Amino acid sequence: MKAVLGRDSQRVEIRRKNRIVQNIKRDFLLYALLLLPMAYIALFRYAPIYGVLMAFQDYNIFQGISGSEWVGLDVFRFIFEQDSFYRALTNTLVLNLLDLVAGFPAPIILAILLNELRFTRFKKLTQTVLYLPHFLSWVIIGGMVYLMFSSGGMANTILSGLGLGKIEFLSDKTNWLIMYVAVGIWQSAGWGTILYLAAMIGINKDLYEAADIDGCSRIRKIWHITLPGIKPTIIILLILQIGRMVSIGFDRPFVMGNSLVSDYSDVISTYVYRIGIGSGDFSQATAVGLFQSVVGLLFLVSANYVAKKIGENGIW
Amino acid sequence: MNKKLLVLLPVLTLLASGLAGCGGDNNNKENQPNESSAASTETKSPSGPPTTLTVEVFDRGIQGQPDLNNNTWTRYINEHFGKPNNAVVKFVPVPRSQEIDKLNVMMAAGEAPDISFTYDSATVSRYAKINGIMPLEELLEKYGQDLKNYLGETVLTYGQFNGKQMAIPAKRTSLAWIGSFIRKDWLDKLGLPVPTNRDELYNTLVAFRDKNPGGVDGVIPWGLAATGMNYGTGNLAESFWGEQSEEDFVTSPNWLKPGNKESLKFLNKLYNEKLISPDFALDKTAKQADADVTNGKVGFFSANWDYAFRQNISEPLKANVPDANFIPIDTFKNDEGKYKKMIYNENGLNVFIPKSSKNAELAIKYLNWMANPDVLFFLQYGEEGVNHKTVDGIPQVIAQTGDNMQMSPQNLDYTLVVNGVELGDQEKNIKALSASYAGLEETAEQSYKINTTDGYTSFFYDTPNDANIKYGKTLGDLNKQMTDKLIVCKPSDFDSLYDKLVDEYMAAGGKAVMEENVKIYEAMQANKK
Repeated sequence: MKAVLGRDSQRVEIRRKNRIVQNIKRDFLLYALLLLPMAYIALFRYAPIYGVLMAFQDYNIFQGISGSEWVGLDVFRFIFEQDSFYRALTNTLVLNLLDLVAGFPAPIILAILLNELRFTRFKKLTQTVLYLPHFLSWVIIGGMVYLMFSSGGMANTILSGLGLGKIEFLSDKTNWLIMYVAVGIWQSAGWGTILYLAAMIGINKDLYEAADIDGCSRIRKIWHITLPGIKPTIIILLILQIGRMVSIGFDRPFVMGNSLVSDYSDVISTYVYRIGIGSGDFSQATAVGLFQSVVGLLFLVSANYVAKKIGENGIW
Repeated sequence: MNKKLLVLLPVLTLLASGLAGCGGDNNNKENQPNESSAASTETKSPSGPPTTLTVEVFDRGIQGQPDLNNNTWTRYINEHFGKPNNAVVKFVPVPRSQEIDKLNVMMAAGEAPDISFTYDSATVSRYAKINGIMPLEELLEKYGQDLKNYLGETVLTYGQFNGKQMAIPAKRTSLAWIGSFIRKDWLDKLGLPVPTNRDELYNTLVAFRDKNPGGVDGVIPWGLAATGMNYGTGNLAESFWGEQSEEDFVTSPNWLKPGNKESLKFLNKLYNEKLISPDFALDKTAKQADADVTNGKVGFFSANWDYAFRQNISEPLKANVPDANFIPIDTFKNDEGKYKKMIYNENGLNVFIPKSSKNAELAIKYLNWMANPDVLFFLQYGEEGVNHKTVDGIPQVIAQTGDNMQMSPQNLDYTLVVNGVELGDQEKNIKALSASYAGLEETAEQSYKINTTDGYTSFFYDTPNDANIKYGKTLGDLNKQMTDKLIVCKPSDFDSLYDKLVDEYMAAGGKAVMEENVKIYEAMQANKK
C-alpha cells in the first residue's frame, strides 16, 4: 500500500515538473519578455539596496562602502537629536495628511461626475483637459502659481480691483498650506480619475437598468451602485496612499516653498537633499531614507491589516 | 524558430548591456583609448596618443553662448597648450547655480575633472579632510614654478589646510564685493541730496514712495530679492554692529554681534512701511528684482559692487527708461563715522585635483602655462580689434556674441589662476576693470573706490572646522530663512521672533561651529607667538 502511494505522489511530482517545463517551452517567448522588466526591477530596485549600508557607516565618498568606517547606530542617534529632522518629519506627515483628507476624495468625486455625463464628446474633452496638468513639471506649475498668486499677481490685482484688499496667498503660513493642497488637487485629481473610471466600466449595466425600473434617482444610483462598485479600488488606493504617508515628492514642496513658510515647507525630501547632496553627508541622507522606508512599511502593513479586519480585500 | 530567435535577440542584448552598465568603470577605460587614438591621427603627434586633460567650467546659461567646449578660448588653449604637450584639453560644464551639488556627485562617482574648482572653501576643506584630493606641494615645486611666482606666498596660504597645500587659490585682483546704488535722476527730480547715512536714506526712500518721481506703477523704493541671491542689504548690518574684540568678532556668528538685532529691526520697519519689494522672499531666483530694476521701478538697491553697470541690467534699463541713472553711494555709516564693509581676500576660487585624477602632473603644467602674462592677456582680452580696443594703453572689452563671446567678466571661468583683470599692475587693473563697463567707466571706477574704503576681510582659518563641515549647509539655509522671516514679520512680534530664531540657530549647530572657531583661533594665535 505504502509503496503504491509513494509511487503515486512521485508521479504527481514528476507530472508537475513536466508541466512547468512544458509551460515554459510553450510560452518561452512570453517568459523572455518578462525577463526585461524583471531585470529592471532587480537592477534598479534591488541592487541599490546594498547602499543602505551607508547609514551605518561614516561614509567616505572616496573610500566607498567597503573602505568606510562602521559606526553602528551613531548616524541615527545624531539625526534623532536634530530639531530640524523632527520638523521635516512633522511637516511631511501634516502635508500628506492634508493631501489625504482633501486630495483623496477629489478624483473619486470627479470620476463620478464624469461617469454621469451623457454627451460623450463633451465627456472626452473634459477628461483630456483634466489630465493635462498632470503632464506639467512642478517647476512650471510653481512659476504659474507665483505669477497668479503673488502680491502683484493676477488674483490679488482682481481682489484689490474689487476693493477687497490683498491676500497673502504664498507668504502666510496657513494660506500657503491651502494653496499647497489646492494646487496638488488641481494637478493630480484629473489623472487620478483614470483608475476609478476603469473600475466603473466594470460595473454591471443591468444593475442600473434594474434601478431605473424601480424608479431610482441619480443620487440613489450613485450611492447604491457606483460607489459600492468601485469600493475595492478605493480601498486599495487608500492603503497604498497611507503607505506613502512618510514619503513625499521633492519637487512640489521645494518649488512651492519659500523661506517665509519654511516652518511648513521643509519636508523629509528637501531635508535629505540638503544634507545628502548639499553637504555631501551621504550617511545621514541614507539613514533618513531608511527610516522613512521602515516607517512607510509599518503604515502600509497596518493599513492593510485594518482593511482586512473590516472585511475588505487587502493588497496581499 | 528563426523568427523566435529574432525576437529574443534584442531582449538579450538589452539585458546584457544593462548588466554591463554595472561595471561602468571598465567601460570608460575601454572607451578612452578609442577616443584619443582617433584624435591622435589628426594631430599626428610623434609621442603616442595624446592625453585628455579634463577641466571644469561653469555653465552660466548665458543667452547666445557658444559651445563651452569649442569656441575661440578653448581652441586657443588646445592650440597653445594642448599641442606642445601632446594633450587634449576637454572642458566639463557644471551649472553655475548647482556647482557644489554637481561637484559632490562627480567626486563621489570618481568622475570629477582633473582640474576642478569651487568658490566654497568649506567644500575644499571637507574634501581635504576625507582625503579625496591631492596634496600639491611637490607637484607645484616640480612643475609649477611660474605659477608659484605669479600667485605669491600670501595667496597660496589660502589653499593650505592643516599646513598642507591642498588647493591652488586664484589671485584676486579686484577686491570690491558689494555696493549700493541709488537713482540719481530721482534724487534730482525731488531736489534731494545723496544720502550719506541711514536716516537720510530712510527719508529718501519715504520720499520715493510718496512722490513716485519716476511716475511708475508700483514704485519700489528699495529693491530686494530672497536672501542669498545677488540682491542684499549691503553693509547695513556692519553700520549697526558695536565694538568687539577681534576674537569675538571673527568667531561669533553675525546673529550674536551687538547691534545686529537693530539692523534687522530697521529692515523690518522699512518692509512694514512698504519701502521694500513686497514679495522679495518669494523671489528665489532674483528674476523679479532684475525685472523691477530694469523697468525703472526701483530707487535703491544693494548687490555686487558692479551690478548696476553689468550689461544685463544697464542695457535693458537704458532701453526702458533712458534717463535712469544709478550711482554708487556709501550710506551705511556706523557710530565711528566709518562705512565698514566686507571686501574680498586676495584669493578667489580654489582649484584642486581629485585623487581619482591620473593627470595631476599635466594639470599643474596647465595652470603653470596659464600664469604666463601673454596667455592671460589673450584669454582675458582676446584679439585686438575683435575682443578689445586699446585706449590710452588700457584695453577695453568689445562685447561679442557667439564664438568670441566671453561668458563671464574677463573670462574668469577659463582663467582659473586669476579673478579679475590682470595687466601686471594694480592701478592699470582697476582702470581696465572700469573700462569694461562701456559708457559707465567713471561711475564704475567710483564704485570700486567707494566699495574698497573701510573694508575688512573675512578671517581665514588654517584648519578645517569639522562642525562647519557638518552643519554649514543647514546653517546657511537657516541664515536665509531667518533674515527673510525677520524682515517680513509684524513689528510687534519682532523681538520675540529674533530671540527664538537665534536660539534655534545656535542649537542647530551655530554653537558648535562657534566653539570650534574659538578653538582654532586660539591655536592659531598660540602658534604665532
